[in-house]
Amino acid sequence: MLEKKQLEKYLSACMRSEADFAEIFEQSEKDETISMLNGKVEDVNRITISGIGIRLYKGVQSVYAYGNETDEESVMKLIDDLRTALGAKEEGPEVSLQRVEYENRHPVKIDFEQASLEEKADLLKRANDAAFAADERIVKVTGSLLNVRQLVQISNSEGRLISDTRVRTRLMVEALAQEGDNVQSGSDRPGAGMGLEFYEQRKPEDSGREAAREALVNLSARDCPSGQMPVVIDNAFGGVIFHEACGHSLEATSVAKNMSVFCGKLGQQIANPCVSAVDDGTIPNAWGSENIDDEGNFQKRRVLIKDGILTSYMIDRLNARRMNMEGTNSSRRQSYQYEPTSRMTNTFILEGNSTFDELFEGIEKGLYAKKMGGGSVNPQTGEFNFAVNEGYMIENGKITYPVRGASLIGNGRDILMNIDRICDNLTTGQGNCGSLSGSIPTDVGQPSLRVTSITVGGTANE
Amino acid sequence: MNKQRWIDYALQEGFEDFEIYQSLSGEKTVTWFDGQMDTFVTSRVLGTALRGTYLGKMVNLATEDTSDEQIEVLVSQMKEQAKTIQAEETAVISAPAECEEVQSQKHWVEPDNVLIQKTLKAVEEKIMAADERIIQASHLQWVEETGSREIVNSKGLHIHDESRVQAIVAGAAAASGEEVKNSFGIEVVENLEDFDLDAFVKKTTDEALNKLDSVQLTSGTYPVIFEKGAMTSLFSALTGLYSGDLIGKGISPLRDKLNTKIFSDLITVVDDPRNTDAVSLANYDDEGTPTKRKVLVDHGVFTTILHNTRSAARMNAETSGNGFRSSYTSPIGVSPFNCYIEPGEKSLDELCADMKDGFVITDLAGLHAGIDFVTTNFSLQCSGYWVKDGKRDHSVSLVTVAANFLEMMSNVTAVGSDLEWKQHSVVTPSIAFKGCAISGK
Repeated sequence: MLEKKQLEKYLSACMRSEADFAEIFEQSEKDETISMLNGKVEDVNRITISGIGIRLYKGVQSVYAYGNETDEESVMKLIDDLRTALGAKEEGPEVSLQRVEYENRHPVKIDFEQASLEEKADLLKRANDAAFAADERIVKVTGSLLNVRQLVQISNSEGRLISDTRVRTRLMVEALAQEGDNVQSGSDRPGAGMGLEFYEQRKPEDSGREAAREALVNLSARDCPSGQMPVVIDNAFGGVIFHEACGHSLEATSVAKNMSVFCGKLGQQIANPCVSAVDDGTIPNAWGSENIDDEGNFQKRRVLIKDGILTSYMIDRLNARRMNMEGTNSSRRQSYQYEPTSRMTNTFILEGNSTFDELFEGIEKGLYAKKMGGGSVNPQTGEFNFAVNEGYMIENGKITYPVRGASLIGNGRDILMNIDRICDNLTTGQGNCGSLSGSIPTDVGQPSLRVTSITVGGTANE
Repeated sequence: MNKQRWIDYALQEGFEDFEIYQSLSGEKTVTWFDGQMDTFVTSRVLGTALRGTYLGKMVNLATEDTSDEQIEVLVSQMKEQAKTIQAEETAVISAPAECEEVQSQKHWVEPDNVLIQKTLKAVEEKIMAADERIIQASHLQWVEETGSREIVNSKGLHIHDESRVQAIVAGAAAASGEEVKNSFGIEVVENLEDFDLDAFVKKTTDEALNKLDSVQLTSGTYPVIFEKGAMTSLFSALTGLYSGDLIGKGISPLRDKLNTKIFSDLITVVDDPRNTDAVSLANYDDEGTPTKRKVLVDHGVFTTILHNTRSAARMNAETSGNGFRSSYTSPIGVSPFNCYIEPGEKSLDELCADMKDGFVITDLAGLHAGIDFVTTNFSLQCSGYWVKDGKRDHSVSLVTVAANFLEMMSNVTAVGSDLEWKQHSVVTPSIAFKGCAISGK
């Protein structure tokens, strides 16, 4: 990380231009991935990332330069390119930095770099063995353990200098089950903003068993019927429905440029009154948490929807200018190789007061989506899709048989209005979200809930 | 970085072989919004990947800190990694091999910033003027990416090559009542001075306008044509089927299908990193193996598995020169490079005329989640248009298409002639199928 004096020199140089704001983002990161196939360590990969991203604003225009050669000559070359792009000047204000200190909300107990590779490989082995022990039809198990330590330092022409260390770990297990020619897969991918102590509370064996369980269920699943029907979406990763159908369309990235179905809807009802939703980057040690956003502002809890009414967008510094609104400290990026923009952190629908059984009441024929895969959205049209990895038919209010190969599609404008019952069992699931500023860790979440009608895409036509 | 010093040190520390891969990449992007330059991005990133065999195991490490004082720490870390690896098969560091190099036929002309901004401004104005239903010109962008790659190893291999690509991007949004539809166009441009802006704008705006006034189909099984863009997305998402890595590990459903019929007679798949029609080419893969043309599927019969040196070792085969990294931070995987389905005789219009009544899919969404690789079952959001009596009728959106890819590729009725190399390194023409399950109303 660069010294304060050096940063002041660079930021002052940046301001000798038409810029009205300058920011330097520094990143130093170590990633380690251990991968295993059928109980044997296949690979160990280590990556060291170390680079710098410099950004200048002039009104709502921004120019950005990044590189990983941080000697003065290289950095000044990047700065000069930016000054030229925006308009260089001889004079400008001198920048003086003040370091901001704070208490780390996400302490780590067991540092992955202090643990031996054998100890870490053993976590994978435990998941592997549990998956194979689950059933003799489990024929293959792959796993990987990712550990990351990301140190960022952000300084800007307003005099702010602040750092954050983000430590994350994630165990990904996939099991294949086979019966004759029928091969099906199941997976489990828990993660947290923690060190290896995470695996004391979330045992690798549970991940192995969960991956095996899902694969075995899918062995006996039938093709999913198609058409519009009521759907009960389970908790945890089921929250991907809100993430895709609504979350992305509430990011300033889409809203500021009038490219979202939710533009101009603040204060209006966009969801059924039973729906309240938040994006909260402050939850201690959660997968999508961090102390500060990637513009150096403290993460916070944002209430996006309260009782069906849209109360907030997620806004970064640049788009705050464009929207003429306060930013919400929602700026994130994968690395220095991306200009930051508004992104989600840990985003979920709040608990309602239905019981799990009440969700199924009155459904003659519907789908119970127990485990969701990923999805995507086109914020401008509102059209979204996501995959169901484990599903069951609902017949006359009861869960009957497992189905596979289903996807759910719809329009964000409608889906939130069609949520009519929400349970009281909120949990979250971990994902990696891809958008303009790269791939970042995000939690999705919700209690189990019911959507009165949604298009289910399946292969069985009835 | 004194590469020879690093290699010598690693060998002295007991490595049997050692290799350094370095890439230097640069980006210049100019985006445009609402009558002015929106963002400007420039970069220079030097990435280094080290790999070497120690105790018979290949170890990988990537770093952006290559100051010479890092040698000892990194080499020691790599030794620790090697001791942890239990898999028996390992990659091989390659010696230099004879290879006749082909040269790119692209003649890139770098435009100045004035021309770039003038062009983006013109594109925005033309999109907005195209039709009163157009409500926005979006994603306006000029992108230039340059790269150079150097591979040096203890067996005397020394490869250095360079690449460049530049492209223009634009989107349009069109509205009819509450309904909003959008399009996204990208065109590789060798010389911006000669670029046909009007054709590009027309294609982009027509695409958005044609999607308006769409209806959902009633769920059912219909004859389907995957237009080349949609077919390319689906085919690209499943190129792992031919990967020796996934076949050797027993994950690809083609694991025991070599030399058997997997697709219709009408389908021939070729992988040719030296194809000069494509935007990029590679004379060597990222392991330094000379690349070559291979027929992966010959009139429906699976004939060639793609390999790098490690997957080849696992399956007791030869590398096919398909050991590529997705970036310097990724280990060497197995990937196709300039892979395509051979085109047939008929245009898309002729395919529609032959189909008479059916659904043409122009866009697919959610490919990263909606495909189960292990079974090749997929269920994906799609849109396109209905063909009635052989002619385009009305547009269709918010439906899904579901099928098993392997079964579907055995039920091909015709392959189109419209293969086009654009920004992708995997491409297909439009393909007509007997029937797919469509879910809608």
